[in-house]
Amino acid sequence: MTTLLRRIWRAAPVATVILGVAIAVSVFFAVRLVAFSIYWADPAHRDQAIEGWMTPGYVAHSWDVPREVTFGALDLPPRPGERVTLADLAQARGMSVEALAAELRAEIAAHRSKGDMP
Amino acid sequence: MSADIFALVSDWGPVLIFASAFLSCLAVPIPTSLMMLAGGAFVASDDLALWHVVVAALTGAILGDQTGYLIGRRGGAPLVTRIARSPKRRAALARARTLVDRWGGPGVFFSTWLFAPLGPWVNFIAGTTALSWRRFSIWDVLGETIWVSVYVTLGVVFASRIEAVADLLGNAVGLLVGLAVAGVMAVWIRGALRSQKAGG
Repeated sequence: MTTLLRRIWRAAPVATVILGVAIAVSVFFAVRLVAFSIYWADPAHRDQAIEGWMTPGYVAHSWDVPREVTFGALDLPPRPGERVTLADLAQARGMSVEALAAELRAEIAAHRSKGDMP
Repeated sequence: MSADIFALVSDWGPVLIFASAFLSCLAVPIPTSLMMLAGGAFVASDDLALWHVVVAALTGAILGDQTGYLIGRRGGAPLVTRIARSPKRRAALARARTLVDRWGGPGVFFSTWLFAPLGPWVNFIAGTTALSWRRFSIWDVLGETIWVSVYVTLGVVFASRIEAVADLLGNAVGLLVGLAVAGVMAVWIRGALRSQKAGG
């Protein structure tokens, strides 16, 4: 093993260093890949929490409700193509993103319970 | 971190995707793959038009690659001839040229999408070692088309779980790049060992 290392080191020192770094980088990403797979496979992490970067349309898509539900909850006309994030909305209205998200969650829950009725 | 990227994409849309595709093909460390995922997700949520996202990413990437190739051709080639004065360096350069001549087309192709973080460096090397412009461009356009379609499609399909996809894909690409570099170095070292043996 050491003699082999010494031989390749003597033949191509720079390539040997890069090879070592590349192997270390591969191991690093392999470990992270496994860790993230375990994290996202957990059903508790399946639902994407409502965050400031999301648009009302994205929340509707992500939570699988009609656009009218989320746009209605925020008193917005459901027009496609005009992007506004929840963070922008919260700032314009002087509210926190969390307060907006709570309103959205309440409206989505109301919509879903309506759908459950026969 | 990915949340910040998603926020930027929803604020700036295709303009941002174009600029970041262009710059990341010139080795500026910007997570363009994440932006294309986000672009796809916002297509699914009706916030962006699909063709805007695709055209922005594709033109940005191709123009960036062409610029990188030109920089290599204009700036890199004279530099390399100056550096490669000693016989040992000249031998190394000759080996690099043979490698590029043999594997250059497929190398460019895979470096645009499967091993995307290597793309900019492969562009510089292709320009510096004078891979023909036509060969470079054909493989490059093919590869970038795959890069853009794969990421935007994944963004559209997995829009509701975009954060999970971003985490998994980012690390998978990191792993692939590590393995690819290790593989190329192994081939390089084998060549060096052989030429050493042949040289006595």
